[in-house]
Amino acid sequence: MTAATRIRLTGVGKTFVDARSGARQQVLEDFSLTVEPGELVAVVGASGTGKTTLLHIIAGLVQPDAGEVDVGEPRLGVVFQQPRLLDWLSVRQNVVLALEAAGLDPAAADDALAAVGLADYASSYPTVLSGGQRQRVAVARAFAVEPDLVLLDEPFSALDELTARKLRLLLQELWMQRRRTGLLVTHNPLEAALLADRVIVLTGRPARISASYRVDADRPRSAEDKQLFDLHSHIVAAL
Amino acid sequence: MTATDVHVAQAPPASTPTPPRSPRRLRGLPAAAFLGLLCAGWQIMSVLVDSVLVPGVPAIAAELVEIVVDGSFVEQLGVTVLRVGLGFALAFVVAVGIGIAMGRSEFARRFFEPAVLLGLTIPGLVWALLCVIWFGIDLINPVAAVALSSAPALMLTIYQGTRSVDPDLLEMAHVYRFSRVTRLRRLWLPALAPSLFAGARLGLSLGWKVIVLVEVFGMSSGVGYQLNNAFAAQNVAAVLAWTLLFAIVMAVLEYGVLQALERRAGRWRKAVTV
Repeated sequence: MTAATRIRLTGVGKTFVDARSGARQQVLEDFSLTVEPGELVAVVGASGTGKTTLLHIIAGLVQPDAGEVDVGEPRLGVVFQQPRLLDWLSVRQNVVLALEAAGLDPAAADDALAAVGLADYASSYPTVLSGGQRQRVAVARAFAVEPDLVLLDEPFSALDELTARKLRLLLQELWMQRRRTGLLVTHNPLEAALLADRVIVLTGRPARISASYRVDADRPRSAEDKQLFDLHSHIVAAL
Repeated sequence: MTATDVHVAQAPPASTPTPPRSPRRLRGLPAAAFLGLLCAGWQIMSVLVDSVLVPGVPAIAAELVEIVVDGSFVEQLGVTVLRVGLGFALAFVVAVGIGIAMGRSEFARRFFEPAVLLGLTIPGLVWALLCVIWFGIDLINPVAAVALSSAPALMLTIYQGTRSVDPDLLEMAHVYRFSRVTRLRRLWLPALAPSLFAGARLGLSLGWKVIVLVEVFGMSSGVGYQLNNAFAAQNVAAVLAWTLLFAIVMAVLEYGVLQALERRAGRWRKAVTV
């Protein structure tokens, strides 16, 4: 179990230039953030505040123009907004591919699927699953690879609220069992309060951290918890 | 509309909607009716014209039976299919590499685009002539001719297929550090399957046409060579018999083999969302 990965961003800047119009959008400027080992930080902000860019920079999908990104070479477990499964492979094979790429025992796929309640669907094609089930596969894949760093990019925002709630609780459960360093990008303040150890609020362009909250509530937390709801109100006010 | 668009319009669509199914035993009826009418019409024409240049159905059938029974059809066809197979395989491998590169890199696209467009416009006959001149009777002659004439169409189809591959999946493959081989086998090839099959149909149909020309001009075996012999002997029944058999084998390959493979590759699509 490795929880030693620390994310440290110092003075990171990123400007996107539209190839057609040449318009420049400075999304991040002199942005700094540290996520301690084993800490789950939620980044909350409205659309277009650079949350996803931030996650992409940490994942190595986007190169920053300026500043320093110090994350080492972590093994990543990523859950995107869309499940991003290979529809032509069975549910199990989807997890197995990630395990093999990480040099792990492919047999772990079945345990990972059982942990998200999909043991019975291991041989099915993802196309027969519901949206929520597909996202469960993505969650199973992310945790199966024994990641050093878990990145969650609006993981439940494409799901209906009822399904999203169940998956949040599932994620919380997984998190309690196998704690990692993590970054959760979301526009849902309650989701952030429920899952994270620390919530930071991004506003403006280029984005700056307008508020930061430590969430001390013990896990498992409940979405009905008064303390979390108050925090949620604070976050909304800061947005 | 550019030359590119025109060419692609000829490619068969990757998947056609299936019309409502009629009972199994009736499904072959329209096709059988067409073939029966064709034979009957041909026979009437040959009786009316009454010339050695238009042999009747029985004469063609006799010739057909003869080349099948004496084993020359299987032997010559085997030679031709081997040549096409090798040439097509070569074109396919090269086209998958270049087609994906064109879809992934702006530079590769600009670099290869002229070659593809040029290749598409050069008639198969020219490739056949050039390869006969350059390579003589070596096996490389027909293989090169088939590869050169089918590769451009394949590259174009595959390149266009790459643009429909979900970039999100490539990102996923990146963060999970899939190896190159895994990406090719598990992501690119399955995602490109519809384009690969469309390209294979187009490429094979071009290959068949070229191989016959090459064999007419420069080979001493194969279906084209036999056609040329029959032509030299003014044996119209033999020309027709060879052509018919050749067409039947192509149809079997196309509808039997390719479609079976395509169904297999598309199995997952049948699984419908609940």
